[in-house]
Amino acid sequence: MNRIFSKDILRSYFFLLPFAVFIIAFILIPVVGAVINSLYKDVTFREREFLLFDNYISLFKDSGFWQSLRFSMLFILVSVPFELILGLIFALLLNQIRRFRGLIWAAVLIPWAIPSAISARTWELIYNYNYGLANYLLSGIGITGEPINWLGTNVGAFISVVIADAWKTAPFITIILLAGLQGIPENLHRQSRVDGANFLQGFQKITLPLLKPVIVVALLFRTIDALRVFDVIYVLTGGGPGGATTSLSIFGYNYYINGDFGYGSTISVVLFAVAFGLSILYVKLSRFEAGLR
Amino acid sequence: MREEKVKTILIAAGVVLMLSFCLAPFFFMIVTSLSKNPEFLSPAADYQFTLQNYSSVIFKESLHFIDYLRNSIIVSGVAAVAGVLTASIAAFAIARFELPGKMLVLFFALAVSMFPQISIVGYLFKFMTWMGWINSYFALIFPYVAWVLPLSLWILTSYFSQIPKELDRAAYVDGCSRLKVLTRVIMPVAMPAILSTVLLAFIFAFNEFMFALILTSDHHARTVPVGIALFQGLHGEIPWGDIMAASAVTTLPVVILTIIFQRRIIAGLTRGAVKG
Repeated sequence: MNRIFSKDILRSYFFLLPFAVFIIAFILIPVVGAVINSLYKDVTFREREFLLFDNYISLFKDSGFWQSLRFSMLFILVSVPFELILGLIFALLLNQIRRFRGLIWAAVLIPWAIPSAISARTWELIYNYNYGLANYLLSGIGITGEPINWLGTNVGAFISVVIADAWKTAPFITIILLAGLQGIPENLHRQSRVDGANFLQGFQKITLPLLKPVIVVALLFRTIDALRVFDVIYVLTGGGPGGATTSLSIFGYNYYINGDFGYGSTISVVLFAVAFGLSILYVKLSRFEAGLR
Repeated sequence: MREEKVKTILIAAGVVLMLSFCLAPFFFMIVTSLSKNPEFLSPAADYQFTLQNYSSVIFKESLHFIDYLRNSIIVSGVAAVAGVLTASIAAFAIARFELPGKMLVLFFALAVSMFPQISIVGYLFKFMTWMGWINSYFALIFPYVAWVLPLSLWILTSYFSQIPKELDRAAYVDGCSRLKVLTRVIMPVAMPAILSTVLLAFIFAFNEFMFALILTSDHHARTVPVGIALFQGLHGEIPWGDIMAASAVTTLPVVILTIIFQRRIIAGLTRGAVKG
């Protein structure tokens, strides 16, 4: 590259300017603002007071924080593998379909396209103790004599949230994995069958290893998503019963909504730090540069 | 060949199970919305068909459902179009110019798209209050543009990179400026891709919940997801019939769009999520 172009380069950056303005004004500055706010006592109608790290110290002594952190970790540990397995099964099935392909693919996409707050409302009705679909089906098959109190017990609420969330997110994983599956040359499978391998062996020896990079991407992406889960829980349980399903986002929201911006910001900064660490990992692992040339 | 037959049956069974899981909540929503009594699954009640829930949701002004729907469509529509236009300018620069650090921009956009909303919304609330924008379209449109930008940038950069560079070169030879090359050459060629990106951005903004929950307070700006999440009966009971009818009215267009543009949505999502 020669010198004459350098002025050109500077002008080229102007093309990025509108993009940068939006991101800086409405995402970056708010994040920095939250960091600054977390150093203050900042409650509506009260005087702002500089505290340095007092909020963080209180946070680490706050049993509510540990409860929501524990919930969020447990939620990630249960829901992400569950969604991954579901998504993998869906992707393998979709990859085999020849007839009605467009319609079936679209049907799998529908849960992803419906706003989660709206579908969560339907799940709330499905989980209804007296007349919900879940208890109706379970008693129909004769699995349970007694109806299950889905949203009113700790375990029930946890399972309810995991299932409703998996329903919403499995399609996304399916799409990512499907793209990976379709990148596997068909003749590899044919060759393995000629060599006498059955489906399971072929899956283990060919499909899974070749799919691994895509699985890693899906896994990390979902982990970050699960870490910040909000909509489904807000609608289904509101964080209850007794705080049992309070995710970190719900925990922070509860302070914001009561006008405590200092403490709410402290929670969100901690959540941000964890999510940011994971996203750096994600970016590194996805080796995104390869796709761009 | 018997093995083939077993395989076909297994796949068919699997597909049926998969479809039931994916569609059951949606069907339950529709069926309940058409029922006079939302408790029809309990032994004491029975199912009676009615359109009452739909007419109440659409015509009862006190429910404000139509207001929520209008707000959602305006806010998401404006944000999607503005976001995709902004992203195409940036994507053009990244796909075509020799910009030092352009990979860093993409890297950064990806990281930004993973920020938890809760760490943004507290300050946004203060900022919007200060601007006097709380409970107005502005309070949602600006953050939504920023929210759909990373995804749009990724998808568009990937599409633009695939357009042959000879097209630009011919236009430059004819004396076009770079902005003209973008608007006269790249954008027309990539129009299907741009439109599908607009659709994706629209779905993203339309689904957004937390910003809308915190930055709006009533039907003047509240969006559909928040409106439906907060639907309450007058006496504390949950008006399931109304909620399911409102949900059905909202999701049906989304479902139809998904069926029509299924291929494009999948292509866009794949580009956005798994490059490389």
